Amino acid sequence: MNKHSLAIGLVFAVLAGGVTVHSTYAQEAEVSVADEANIALAAAEQEVEKARVAIEKGKELIAQIPEDSPLMPDVAQVVQAASDNWKIATDSLKGAKESAAKITTASSEAIANDYALLAKVNAGVALSGAKVVQIAIVYVEAIATDKSEALDIIRTTMQDALASSSQVQFNYERVKTLIAQKYSK
Amino acid sequence: MTTHVKTILSSICLIGVFCATTASAVDQAAAAANLAAVSAISVQANANLSTNALSGDVDGIADWGDRCDALDAVAAQAAEAYARIESELASGNEDEAQSAYDDLKTALENAKNAFGGIIPPINPVDPKDDGKKNSAGGPGRPYDPPNMYDVPWNSQNMRDFYQSHFGNFWMSGIAPRDQEATPE
Repeated sequence: MNKHSLAIGLVFAVLAGGVTVHSTYAQEAEVSVADEANIALAAAEQEVEKARVAIEKGKELIAQIPEDSPLMPDVAQVVQAASDNWKIATDSLKGAKESAAKITTASSEAIANDYALLAKVNAGVALSGAKVVQIAIVYVEAIATDKSEALDIIRTTMQDALASSSQVQFNYERVKTLIAQKYSK
Repeated sequence: MTTHVKTILSSICLIGVFCATTASAVDQAAAAANLAAVSAISVQANANLSTNALSGDVDGIADWGDRCDALDAVAAQAAEAYARIESELASGNEDEAQSAYDDLKTALENAKNAFGGIIPPINPVDPKDDGKKNSAGGPGRPYDPPNMYDVPWNSQNMRDFYQSHFGNFWMSGIAPRDQEATPE
């Protein structure tokens, strides 16, 4: 009887040890994801600030372009794209900050991990939006300073950046849906 | 009593197996986050290319152009890996899904490297693949993901092909030529 109890005790001890090791790894992973989220958030904040400065510069640049310029429709299109992406960037940055704030107050490690993941991807959306704004202002600058030879390249980069940025947004929605599904089961 | 102990031990084993299975499960949300990260890196590379284009730095344009191209290829690899994760998880192949997840993580690392200027070398050409038609990554690169920005019908070869084709067609006399519409 005592031998059996000892054996059971040992098995439990080994298992408990295993579980402890497992949860330590989980904790390490959580710290890592939370750190990644904070780094992504800081980078996004920096880029959104750069985009804000670029928009201010863009207002002055647009004033330099003659109203009868044949590229005025292009400018209008690019400014519209910049405006849409500015809104996406600021909204996403706000969302990322909200998710990041919930990491430390989460009731479990798994939930904290999911908030960190959401914050990280939402910060990526903010960063992409801010970068698209910056490219748009570069395009306006090329027109305002009459650097027409650069326009083709910048136009292509703008299209590619918009395509990639929409992929970031799409995957953010995917992450959000997958996490929601996890908790609705 | 022995039966009781056996029951407890088998339960413990079952819990152990369950824990092991849970630990190896592929996190699809994390995979989607990695896919988003690859696209975000691509946006940043394009922003850098546009800045170089504005400054007129020819070397910078060439360099960032190469990095953007490499990132396009990596993005295609990452998207393919994610699609594999989805399909393998749907069919319950945990190991295959894990392998696809590892490929996606590698793609993310490759994207970071490409952004930093470390562009992965083009796969060496296997002589037997030379001239292979319908190759996904272009001539000599049959196993690469397709370049979605490539417009094959816009190439000089295709233009020459269609022009010579039309020339032959014209010479054959089948094409409408200068003749009376109403022979009577």
